Amino acid sequence: MDLETYQSTLARLLTTAWLLPLCGFVIEIFAGWWSNRRSKAAAYLAVFCIATGFVCSLTALLYWGEKTEWAAFAGHAAGHGEAGAEHAAGAHDGAHANAAHHAAAGAAAHATPAYPLAVSGTHYVLVQFGRLRVAIDYYIDSLTLAMFTMVTLIASLIHVFAIGYMGDELTDDHEDHEVHTSHGHLHRPGRYYRFFAYLSLFSFSMLGLVLAGNVFLVFVFWELVGICSYFLIGFYTERRSACLAANKAFIMNRVGDFGFLIGLMILWTWFGTFQFAERTEDGQTTPGLFQMLRTPEGEILRLNTQSGQRVVLVDSHGDPLLDPTTREPKTVPYLLLVAAGMGIFAGCIGKSAQFPLQTWLPDAMEGPTPVSALVHSATMVAAGVYLTGRFYPMFMPEVLLAIAYVGCITLFLAATIAVVATDIKRVLAYSTISQLGYMMLGLGVGAWGAGLFHLITHAFFKSLMFLCSGAVIYGCHHVQEMPRMGGLRRKMPITAYTMLVGVIAICGLAIPWPTVFGEKIAFSGYHSKDAIVAAALTFAQLNPKHILLFLLPLVGAGITAFYMFRLWFYTFAGTPRDEHVYEHAHEAPAVMWIPLVVLSLFAAFCAVGGEEGPLFKLLLNSEPAGVAAGRESAVPGGISIPGHAAVAANHVAAGVDALIVAGLGAFLAYVFYGVRWLNPAEVKNQFAGLHRFLIEKWRFDELYDVMFTRPVHIIARWCTWIDRTVFDGLLHAAARLALDVARWDRKFDEGVVDGLVNKVGDLTFATGRSFRVIQTGRLRQYVMFIVVGVIVIGVAGILFVTQLRAG
Amino acid sequence: MKFSELLSKLVADTCDVSLPLFGPELCIIGAIVGLLLVRLCNFERVLPASFVALAGAGAGLGISLLQFRQFGDAVAEQASTPLFTGLLMYDPFTVFFRVFLLLFLLFVVYLTILSGIPDKEDGPDFYVLLLGATLGMMLMASANHLLMVFLAVEMTSVPSYAMVGFLKGRKLSSEASLKYVVYGAGAAGVMLYGISLLAGLLGAANLTDMAHALLRFSEMHTEFSDPAVRALVLAVLMVLVGLAFKLSLVPFHFWCPDAFEGAAAEVGGFLSVASKAGAFGLLVRVCLALVGPPDHESTSLATVNLYLGVGLGIIAAVTATFGNLAAYSQKNMKRLLAYSTIAHAGYMLMAVAAMMVVLNGSEPPDAVVSRAEAARDCIEGLLYYLVVYFFMNLGAFAIVALIRNKIFSEDIADYAGLARQAPGLAVCMLLCLFSLVGLPPFGGFFGKFVIFASLYNAGFYHASMWVVLAIGGLNTVFSLVYYIRVLKVMFIGSATDDARTIDFSMASNAGRYVLLVSVPVLLLGVLVNPVSQIARQVAKQLF
Repeated sequence: MDLETYQSTLARLLTTAWLLPLCGFVIEIFAGWWSNRRSKAAAYLAVFCIATGFVCSLTALLYWGEKTEWAAFAGHAAGHGEAGAEHAAGAHDGAHANAAHHAAAGAAAHATPAYPLAVSGTHYVLVQFGRLRVAIDYYIDSLTLAMFTMVTLIASLIHVFAIGYMGDELTDDHEDHEVHTSHGHLHRPGRYYRFFAYLSLFSFSMLGLVLAGNVFLVFVFWELVGICSYFLIGFYTERRSACLAANKAFIMNRVGDFGFLIGLMILWTWFGTFQFAERTEDGQTTPGLFQMLRTPEGEILRLNTQSGQRVVLVDSHGDPLLDPTTREPKTVPYLLLVAAGMGIFAGCIGKSAQFPLQTWLPDAMEGPTPVSALVHSATMVAAGVYLTGRFYPMFMPEVLLAIAYVGCITLFLAATIAVVATDIKRVLAYSTISQLGYMMLGLGVGAWGAGLFHLITHAFFKSLMFLCSGAVIYGCHHVQEMPRMGGLRRKMPITAYTMLVGVIAICGLAIPWPTVFGEKIAFSGYHSKDAIVAAALTFAQLNPKHILLFLLPLVGAGITAFYMFRLWFYTFAGTPRDEHVYEHAHEAPAVMWIPLVVLSLFAAFCAVGGEEGPLFKLLLNSEPAGVAAGRESAVPGGISIPGHAAVAANHVAAGVDALIVAGLGAFLAYVFYGVRWLNPAEVKNQFAGLHRFLIEKWRFDELYDVMFTRPVHIIARWCTWIDRTVFDGLLHAAARLALDVARWDRKFDEGVVDGLVNKVGDLTFATGRSFRVIQTGRLRQYVMFIVVGVIVIGVAGILFVTQLRAG
Repeated sequence: MKFSELLSKLVADTCDVSLPLFGPELCIIGAIVGLLLVRLCNFERVLPASFVALAGAGAGLGISLLQFRQFGDAVAEQASTPLFTGLLMYDPFTVFFRVFLLLFLLFVVYLTILSGIPDKEDGPDFYVLLLGATLGMMLMASANHLLMVFLAVEMTSVPSYAMVGFLKGRKLSSEASLKYVVYGAGAAGVMLYGISLLAGLLGAANLTDMAHALLRFSEMHTEFSDPAVRALVLAVLMVLVGLAFKLSLVPFHFWCPDAFEGAAAEVGGFLSVASKAGAFGLLVRVCLALVGPPDHESTSLATVNLYLGVGLGIIAAVTATFGNLAAYSQKNMKRLLAYSTIAHAGYMLMAVAAMMVVLNGSEPPDAVVSRAEAARDCIEGLLYYLVVYFFMNLGAFAIVALIRNKIFSEDIADYAGLARQAPGLAVCMLLCLFSLVGLPPFGGFFGKFVIFASLYNAGFYHASMWVVLAIGGLNTVFSLVYYIRVLKVMFIGSATDDARTIDFSMASNAGRYVLLVSVPVLLLGVLVNPVSQIARQVAKQLF
């Protein structure tokens, strides 16, 4: 076993997991030919592909762990203790330099296992033209492995769930109750196989996004998941609302992607590579994007010049890169780096539905519920957070602050709207936005590990809750309004109690004392949210100006607990509000509730041990260099970023605060909706204005309508006018001109040339006749033109050369 | 040196060095002899002529591929070998064109088997002509001597004249052939005159020697008013006129539409791709001979060459524009494709013009890539474009031929409703035509992209290349119109009631052939690297 086998084994396993769904897609999309609309064959194939993918990912994870002697899980324990902080920091840097910078094995030998923790390579070079290199690269580190395992696991469970949930499409004549035509409801053929084909395509794209080893490839898959999301939101194409929602999602994402593209262009222009990791080819080493910007210690080398602040580019050893011609160090303007970071973050804002592009996600709930669970809560929307984490070394402190504020605003705003929403899926959608905000906040305040930790735990409990809501909707025959539910836990106990697990997890409720086996009694959300709140508190202490970054998430935690328990009590507790719905409600079949149970186990226990547990340590292993140490602001009033030790010191305080607030929220929900001591309607009347404001989602849709849609309409009307009168005129003129030129060309060919030659021909004709040679006029024309051509070109050439000399 | 020594040296050179490396050509010659024997002894029943042709082409291709691999293995110790005392040059460029032409020959022979255009009786004659023309093209791409330049051009042209007129009894075909012959004879005369002037003035006919002779000449005659200089310029232009005829560049394109309309589509496809490829190979060789040995210091020679490059650029721009605009009003599909061929010759000439400008212009101070690298990119673009052109143009002509066999018409109007009757055929045509336009993700897009990129780089050496680039870009838009018009008729138009129906199965041999030709068009747009790597390897050796 040598390094190469290690690397290729990892790459092969993950590539198999990545490509299998694509094969599945290709076969499934043609299921209309080889199967029929009442067959589940396509679904089984899709499940097989993604489940095999999960097995491959898990194998890869275990293989990686075993080869690296579980170094990822061992090395970090000391990092959070006070004792030996100095030594631990050193070990940290060694390990990180290796992980993030993919240094050759053997560097920092005492801290580095023989097998590198991160591997990268190239599957295939698509295009190599000059400096432009477009390749299918892969980059595998612990984050990739964790994401792969999470995505394939959740996707497998959701595929299984969808086998049951989409069952009513298994027919040649599906009746869509939501679409009314002049003859009653719409009838159409079922689209069971198509749904699974889309799901497979999505899985492929999502895994490709995670595996991608360069930014270009990330962008390709970024757009692919976008288009899959578009297909899936608009799955019920006949429903107008679904079409509009699909368009909205697609267009709002384009807004963010515009920024992404600008960021990419800046990176390409100044760095000349798209690659994440260092690449050695023909003995020549090209450093990757991330190495160039930071030294192995994670420091940015700034340089103050007359034209403003610049950043020196370095190679993987921290030595400045030199320009080949001038031998000067290569530098990049600091402002452009901020712009590039902002641009890339703009893409993440769109994809992760952050403020101000958050409005598409609730509308996306028009898609089938498994889609909401997979695409719009667990994976695709989290891709924005993932990318922010991947690009972390590129983000300057100013950008990080912006990320923190965007996350903070988003989490508060979405949480408040969730309080008044009554559609069960929409509550969950707002809660997703809010939780994504927490992740962004975590990344922004320097808690890289915590942000991505929450990404994984959230994926489990949110997909669980979406699937539970799917089971409720399925059981209640497509009723989604919570005011028509109530008391359902007696009809569907499994759904109700698995949901409760999810609710407790997301609220971060826990019993800190007493401990069992040295562990707090807490579900996954408690650990991850706690970590973020602790980091926010530390950040606020270091930068007192930004106290809001701690207060809003704290309040948000309370609101989260309130609306989540409100949802649970509304749906499952108390007495039925609508007897008709209650009468016909039933528990979901086994194919649907088994995924619920499995997911609830993960939602509860995936984060066992919290920040000492395996999941967190696994993720922390990919943490970019320098994050662990934190960063003191160089200038007074600048932004300081807390390190691990500082956060650890605040952990208990923040945890207690968050727990108290969450407990309060949950208690309030119990008072309102559980035992119904207080009547929500009265409160609603009391705060009618506020309620309206929230119901209208902070009026963002109206705001955008006034700010963008209407001006665009007005400008469009102007443009149409200008187009019709000015440009069309011009265009028509140009078209006429082109036609005229073409006609003239033909005339020239047939008329002038023929005419000219005929004239000359007429002259020679007399001679020709005298020789009695049979000739066609045309042919003579051609031959004449050789002569004319040679003479014209010859004279022109000689004149030109003579002129050239004279001039 | 005694005569006998000279003789033995010559024999040694011929037998030990030249003939083994001349293998692919020998295979073709053997096949030609075999075909004539088949004809003589009436073996057609036992051994169809097409098989002999296929075998010859296949054997030649096999040897060329082996030669190509040898170049890949050896780390270019002696990359180029002169053959037959320097009449021919053997280098990766030569071998690339051998592979290209022989592969194309295979495809064309198979197409003629499918479409049955030479009937059994005429088969041997037709394939003799086809193989003879291919042999000429292979010599064109490897010519290293002015004599070989002329011989190769004529060796290509004469069988082509006969092939154009091969549809005996059709007035249009005979007329086209006659026009082609007379026009070709005129062009050949001009070229021969140019060659004799050039050889006389320089006292050298070998292209390698010519380069040095030219340098000496430019040192001796610094005055441009010197009659010798004028004669030299005229001589070079006349040689280029001969090539312009083969490339159907404006204003030496008049034969092309008539010849293509008169000839069978199979012959049209052969002439439009193979003949162009050979001629471009020759043009590159002649141009490089004019440039002279690398790193010479003669500024006057460089200036003249620079303006030759600019002139080629202007001709390329005019050719592309003319070809595209003239195609607008065509009603016959073959005639339309003939004009499209003219336009594509223009695009490809742009790459050669860019190469000349890059090699002779003054190097810009902030050049990102070196001169040699920039020139390499130009040739890489040309070669890549040729490979794409191979498939997309052959595909279009093959589909025209196959449709002709069903509806006995080549008028665009008769293609109406084709998409409903033969969807597979229509989709393949769509692939080819979109690629001819240069839309992504088809091969034509990347071919154009590389050529335009090298034009952009050449613009730093001489700004006129940016004008050529702009015209080239504009032409892409022009060309969209008439290609789309064909597709519109095929996909949206509906057939008239009395039209013949097309019954074409994609599962037949012909269907598979069409797929085999048109799918690479798409692949070359997606998987760019394999072919572009090869093109770069080949181009690298020239500079």
